[in-house]
Amino acid sequence: MIVEDKERKINIIDTTLRNGEQTAGVVFSKHEKIRMAKMLDEIGITEIEIGTPSIGASEREIIKEIVASGIKGKLFTYTEAIPDNIRLAAECGIKNIIINISTSDLHIKVKYGQNRTWVLNQLKETIAAAKHYDLNFIISAEDATRTDLEFLLKLLHLAEKKEAYRFRICDTVSRLDPFRTFLLINTILNTVDFPIEVYNHNDFGMATANAMAAVRAGAVSLVTSINGIGEGTGNAALEEIIMALKYLENIDLGITTSRFREISEYVAKASARAVPVWKAIVGTNVFAHESGIHADGVLKNPINYEVFEPGEVGLTRQIVVGKHSGSHTILHKFKEFGIDLTINEANDILAMSRAMSVDLKRPLFDKEMMYIYKDYEDKNRKASDSHIE
Amino acid sequence: MRGLDVLTEFSMKAGQKIEPKKIKIDDTTLRDGEQTAGVVFANDEKIHIAKMLDKVGVHQIEAGIPAMGGDEKEAIKAITSLNLNCSILGWNRAVISDIDDSIECGVDAVAISISASDIHIEHKLRKSREWVLDSVKTSVEHAKKYNLYVSVNAEDASRADMEFLLQFARTARDLGADRMRYCDTLGILDPFETFMRVKTIIDIVGIDVEMHTHNDFGMAIANAIAGVKAGATYINTTINGLGERAGNAAFEEFVMALKYLENVDLGIDTRLFRDLSEYVAIASDRFIPTWKPIVGANLFVYESEIRASTTLIEPKTFELFGPEDVGLERKLIVGKSSGVHTLISKLESLGHKIGQSQAAELAEIVREKALSLKRALFDSEIIDTFNSFKAAGLKSAGTKNKGVDK
Repeated sequence: MIVEDKERKINIIDTTLRNGEQTAGVVFSKHEKIRMAKMLDEIGITEIEIGTPSIGASEREIIKEIVASGIKGKLFTYTEAIPDNIRLAAECGIKNIIINISTSDLHIKVKYGQNRTWVLNQLKETIAAAKHYDLNFIISAEDATRTDLEFLLKLLHLAEKKEAYRFRICDTVSRLDPFRTFLLINTILNTVDFPIEVYNHNDFGMATANAMAAVRAGAVSLVTSINGIGEGTGNAALEEIIMALKYLENIDLGITTSRFREISEYVAKASARAVPVWKAIVGTNVFAHESGIHADGVLKNPINYEVFEPGEVGLTRQIVVGKHSGSHTILHKFKEFGIDLTINEANDILAMSRAMSVDLKRPLFDKEMMYIYKDYEDKNRKASDSHIE
Repeated sequence: MRGLDVLTEFSMKAGQKIEPKKIKIDDTTLRDGEQTAGVVFANDEKIHIAKMLDKVGVHQIEAGIPAMGGDEKEAIKAITSLNLNCSILGWNRAVISDIDDSIECGVDAVAISISASDIHIEHKLRKSREWVLDSVKTSVEHAKKYNLYVSVNAEDASRADMEFLLQFARTARDLGADRMRYCDTLGILDPFETFMRVKTIIDIVGIDVEMHTHNDFGMAIANAIAGVKAGATYINTTINGLGERAGNAAFEEFVMALKYLENVDLGIDTRLFRDLSEYVAIASDRFIPTWKPIVGANLFVYESEIRASTTLIEPKTFELFGPEDVGLERKLIVGKSSGVHTLISKLESLGHKIGQSQAAELAEIVREKALSLKRALFDSEIIDTFNSFKAAGLKSAGTKNKGVDK
């Protein structure tokens, strides 16, 4: 169905430090921001949004330090389309910016109390300021997915004429599904040949799917954040995007994915938001198998239930013993402990383990498995002793 | 750009209208949800979850695996004897004794599950395709003798050879199975491929299809929606997306996506979503992330200046549905990303008034505080900060003019 293009590269611009920090309740310290920027740089992310200079003096100090920290990738700051704000970015030593402006009639009316002409003028003036400071700029259309298509195309033509770096389509309220994403991006690209970047939110759990649909339609760049951290439900998660590109779209960006778990944990700590054990790609449960069928399948051959090796994202495989375990899991577990069980013994121990797991309402620790084994041995010994007597 | 014509055609076809009455939810929180490594429900919890699911209006509950015996069987029996409005389904391997266990539990429907991919047939079952079809045959025939509603589950359907999958579907249909469950067991499909594969099965074989999607690449909901667009009529969901590894398609996300993105209202009582979600979170001992789509506690909490101030004027600027629709509340908090308007509104809600220019000064102080505390401020801290700001302002009234950034 898809024409393969092995050479295809997709740009990633990560906004953990900007939109990620904008999440209600999240504040990163200066050291954390610098560390995260370095981590992103080290694993091969070449564009990083590092903050919003207009927030205040302390934010600008942090931005300056990141700029001075020797990161190889392109660093961006974010601003609303307000000409005066551009100077603030330039003073931080920034060379690349994102100029954001709402483009849907609803936003223009409620957020700005203005009309489309005002939006165009405001954008033109802000672009002029950016050019004055010789800044590279992305134009970001907020609520683009509820924007009149003709007006959106007008803005794209403006971006083309003013030589913007890229045009960002923001699905601010998650209005799109993958099919609509495809149609929108496809329609845009059939009209204006300009580099498009897509910014997805996860309100209906479709951020990653929509990003992939945009890539198929010809978008060249995606906005991500580590753990998907961001306002509301968050953004498309960096780790999901990279792995989906690699395994579903056959586009390998050469990112050091083996550090994903480590980076995910770091951001989880810094944002005081735990990584759910079931988080796609980096959750500790993703390679944990308990049920008889799954565990047995994985023990026979991991490809039965795994698409990639856990080490590829910095995780390890675990076989968990609990209510849904089967006898093969028991045999395997005890082999790990250096004990070879017969099938009959494994079945007996399985019944005891399941009962205990139901009673405790959780899976069993390895130690508890050994206790069960000891109880089982004792019981057998007693039985055979009494037999001898 | 790749395969554009085909994909555009897909997107167009996928835009066709969906009949709400035909779409049914088959929730598997009690089966695949509990199968999650580390999760064990108490029987009382299972019964309570079944009652809640029935109350919100799901059409079928996958209650568990009767063949596990013991406690599991007791729970399923208890659920079938509740006489709920919805259908109760038991999960089975394609094994006659499994189905007998289901019958003993009094379910009205059975899912008969067997792998359809060569990878599974070779590496897990260590059998042949013929053996798989034979197993389907004997088990479906057995179930049909007892007039059960039968779903034949094609496990690992996404890695199955399409020709064989069609043969599998035909076999199920000819035996009188009521539907086929398409299991994206590893969560490796994307929505376009889902659409293509499901549409092919429906067009060629003409059997009802159920979607069972996993979230390994974050695509569970998108793939479920793609399946519906391709003509699938049953969706297998779990509350909170609970399920093996990265989990399944979350019930609450699917229902809301269908309602607000595809305009298909299933008549589910969404206002109970947060309650349902909290209950399952506690029973499964897995927290609800504050940012969880649909039911996360933070979804209607605003801090950053633009979102906070605009949402106060017109919620639709940043919300497709309101907090009351899912049992949540809208809130303002003040932190590092807050500005003048957020602060004025927040103080007003706390019973204090402040002017624009003073608010700008106070906002800078508040942001510094949030930065040093590494979190948003509590209401009492905001009031404290406001009071000391006012006191300091009285002392040096008119003498200070701090430069304030917008």
